[in-house]
Amino acid sequence: MSNKKEIKKILSKDDIKRTLYRLAHQIVEKSSSSEEIALVGIQTRGVYLARRIQSIIKEIEGKDVPLGVLDITLYRDDLTVLGPKPIVKETKLAFDLSDKVVILVDDVLYTGRTVRAALNEIMDFGRPKRVEFLVLVDRGFRELPIRADYVGKNIPTSRQEVVEVNLEESDCNDEVVVIKNMD
Amino acid sequence: MEEWQKKHILGIKDFSRQEIETVLSLADSFKEISEREVKKVPALRGKTIVNLFFEYSTRTRTSFELAAKRLSADVVNFSFSTSSLTKGETIVDTIKNLEAYHPDIMIMRIGVGACLKSFSQYTQASLINAGDGNNEHPTQALLDMFTVKEIKGTLENLNVLIVGDIAHSRVARSNIFGFQKFSSNITVCGPTSLIPYEFEKIGVKVSNDFDKEIESADIIMMLRIQKERQGATFFPTLREYVDRFSLTPQRLKKAKKDSLVMHPGPVNWDVEISSSLKEKVHPLILKQAENGLAIRMAALYLVGTKKREI
Amino acid sequence: MKLLIKNSILVNANETIKANLLIENGKIISIGKDIKEADKEIDAKGKHIFPGFIDLHTHLRTPGREGEEDILSGSTAAAKGGFTTILCTPNTEPAIDNEGLAKWIREESQSVGLIDIYPIGAITMNREGKKLTEFGALKKAGCLALSDDGVSVEDTLVLRRAYEYAKMFDLLVISHCEDSQLSHGGSMRESFISSKYGIAGIPDIAESLIVARNIELAKYLGARIHLAHISSAKSIEIIKRAKKEGVKVTAETCPHYFTLTIDDLEREGFPGNYKVNPPLGDKKDLIAIKKALADGTIDCIATDHAPHSLAEKELPFELAPFGFIGLEMAFSLTNSYLVKDKTLSLEDVANKLSTQPAAIARLDKRGKIAQGYIADLVITDLTRKWKVEGKNLASKSMNTPFLGHELEGTIEQTIKKGKVIYSRLKD
Repeated sequence: MSNKKEIKKILSKDDIKRTLYRLAHQIVEKSSSSEEIALVGIQTRGVYLARRIQSIIKEIEGKDVPLGVLDITLYRDDLTVLGPKPIVKETKLAFDLSDKVVILVDDVLYTGRTVRAALNEIMDFGRPKRVEFLVLVDRGFRELPIRADYVGKNIPTSRQEVVEVNLEESDCNDEVVVIKNMD
Repeated sequence: MEEWQKKHILGIKDFSRQEIETVLSLADSFKEISEREVKKVPALRGKTIVNLFFEYSTRTRTSFELAAKRLSADVVNFSFSTSSLTKGETIVDTIKNLEAYHPDIMIMRIGVGACLKSFSQYTQASLINAGDGNNEHPTQALLDMFTVKEIKGTLENLNVLIVGDIAHSRVARSNIFGFQKFSSNITVCGPTSLIPYEFEKIGVKVSNDFDKEIESADIIMMLRIQKERQGATFFPTLREYVDRFSLTPQRLKKAKKDSLVMHPGPVNWDVEISSSLKEKVHPLILKQAENGLAIRMAALYLVGTKKREI
Repeated sequence: MKLLIKNSILVNANETIKANLLIENGKIISIGKDIKEADKEIDAKGKHIFPGFIDLHTHLRTPGREGEEDILSGSTAAAKGGFTTILCTPNTEPAIDNEGLAKWIREESQSVGLIDIYPIGAITMNREGKKLTEFGALKKAGCLALSDDGVSVEDTLVLRRAYEYAKMFDLLVISHCEDSQLSHGGSMRESFISSKYGIAGIPDIAESLIVARNIELAKYLGARIHLAHISSAKSIEIIKRAKKEGVKVTAETCPHYFTLTIDDLEREGFPGNYKVNPPLGDKKDLIAIKKALADGTIDCIATDHAPHSLAEKELPFELAPFGFIGLEMAFSLTNSYLVKDKTLSLEDVANKLSTQPAAIARLDKRGKIAQGYIADLVITDLTRKWKVEGKNLASKSMNTPFLGHELEGTIEQTIKKGKVIYSRLKD
């Protein structure tokens, strides 16, 4: 059995930077001055992306947007089926959710189950005015009626492929690749 | 994180160092849940958890109950008096009857030791030991280690001093098995008549000299002494026990400045610890209890979400 | 009616003979290679025949706890284990401390008609250790020995009187050796393992202290005594020394002491079925027991067959009652553990399970396959394997640590006074 993999680079470091700037502008454009937004990154890479967007918004608008981090492990629908359990990381929402537009941030949108879990968890913290969803990559194959409000890039994939988002904060460098197992 | 292997949590004897670390790191995350507005996560939603207590206990039982509820599980409480162990329906029958509820987890406390492994054959549920005789109290030791780690930052190479009725203490045993896995140095200190036979073989130092041992201790773990013990000729009087083994201000002065004083609770003030030290030592003891909830949530989460073998 | 047993290997304590047996009127009338006619024949097919086993220590639970065992089930279990004679202990409810009960046991066993059962009378009334029973009356009623088994006679003066008084009747006093103050509350041998699990322990000196006391008394009085269920190396040292000095002491041990230790107890997770008094010892005790059997310090093997109901043995270890059944496994265990590793020869087995018990209990014409002796015989298969399972056992109770174990050595037929009382093939 060969372990051959075909790796296709979809976004480079510069691509990611440009995309994030574009997304940040989109957020700013969409939100009216009367609405307060908050960014909530989904552990782990969603948090890094949310932080970057937070600083870009500060850069382009001079605006301080509150940032929360959310670990959705305990809200997953597949806990008893999972073998090795993911480490439960920090959850911290140090601001009042009510009357805010909460923008959930994640790296990849696939089945939609992560967002479903994130929504349930957010609701246990309060009642936001509105919840929107920002994702760097949408790869299709939704299993729930979930959609993203802000999409970095749409990448059509096949089920055998894996979309990997690497970010400097935790991986070697910034890039998005699609990996296919050649078996 | 490696897959959690244990179906039951019966004792720290069976835990690897890795497994202890897993529980401790999870407990950290669970602590945060108690600070939320909605103190609940759906991780164990719909699971049935049975508290089966054959020994009186409000604290531990409530701690487990709350831990289960905060994980969205359904909890049922069964309490039996100690005398019912030998009269009336047998424990085996009770467990078999409870199977009708298809419990996912059974938390058991019982006044006799080393019998839970035998009982596990009668149920499909995971068993968590909430204290069995003098044998083990795993969640207590885990919360003790968690508390130490929180404050000291590590469990490695600490001098742990456990003082009191070692022979009858499941808290002592579980803590010894736990701290040993982190290369800590453990000394047990108490009246010779309350130090178990050949106990050094377990890998601890045995001493009767509290005044001497307290000087080098990083952790001073005081154990409960049951007042009834003096009737059983282990030591002549409580007075003599207190004289040699109570934590008094004079003794505490000899201890390291950053040493931690711990106690599984509830404290018999002026027996185990002088009441004049209450203000100084009580906060940490209360913190132990708070950490107990997080640890028990971690324990329930790990066995409760374990893949079921069909 | 003449019964011929042919093609057998006869095993006695001091010799093994390949010969045929002729039995008539319950007695062995001739042993030889060429025996002529008989009315009935049993072909032993080359198997080993031992003199019928004799157990000096069975708890029949009758009267009082017939649900756990009664005279019929006990007799059947004994027969299945190759035992043709047993002595039953007096720790029943009520205790066998009077001639009426002793006689009743004899009569009941005779009416069941399988094996010989002799009661052991209590030393003291209700086994309370205070007032002596009527030794003379008990002997007349059929008691071959006296014991307060289950407890020791704690009051040394009372025991002295018992030893002295028994001498007059040449009645054997059997001692359960246990200092109950030291053993109080304990469930297993006091050891590193009991300390590890916080289980109250019974120190080995609880046995050896009383062994020493009783031997000193016996020596002083010139009394003949027998020590029950010896379990520890310390006791063996004391017995060995005493025998060297000529003290009239004999001792028994039980199969669990030469097969199991506290390590097994820990490994199995402390099930009620591993709880016994005296408790299982450690490795060095087991080795000492085996050595003592081989060199004769321990004279015989007894079962201490102690039935307990399932509900009781299901209790948590510290609350479960003490005791194992043993009649049906004794020979197989002796064969599987002691003959297999050459601790004992087959002749030693005959000695330990039959000849010595007969001598100790002063049972005439038993314990040997010889002309003129009673035809109590056991035909065995030394290599056949069997699994100890509840459904295989004749005893009403199943409390044995060997449940599920495979043992080597079976009882093929048990013959009592020339009559087949058990046959494996017909079971």
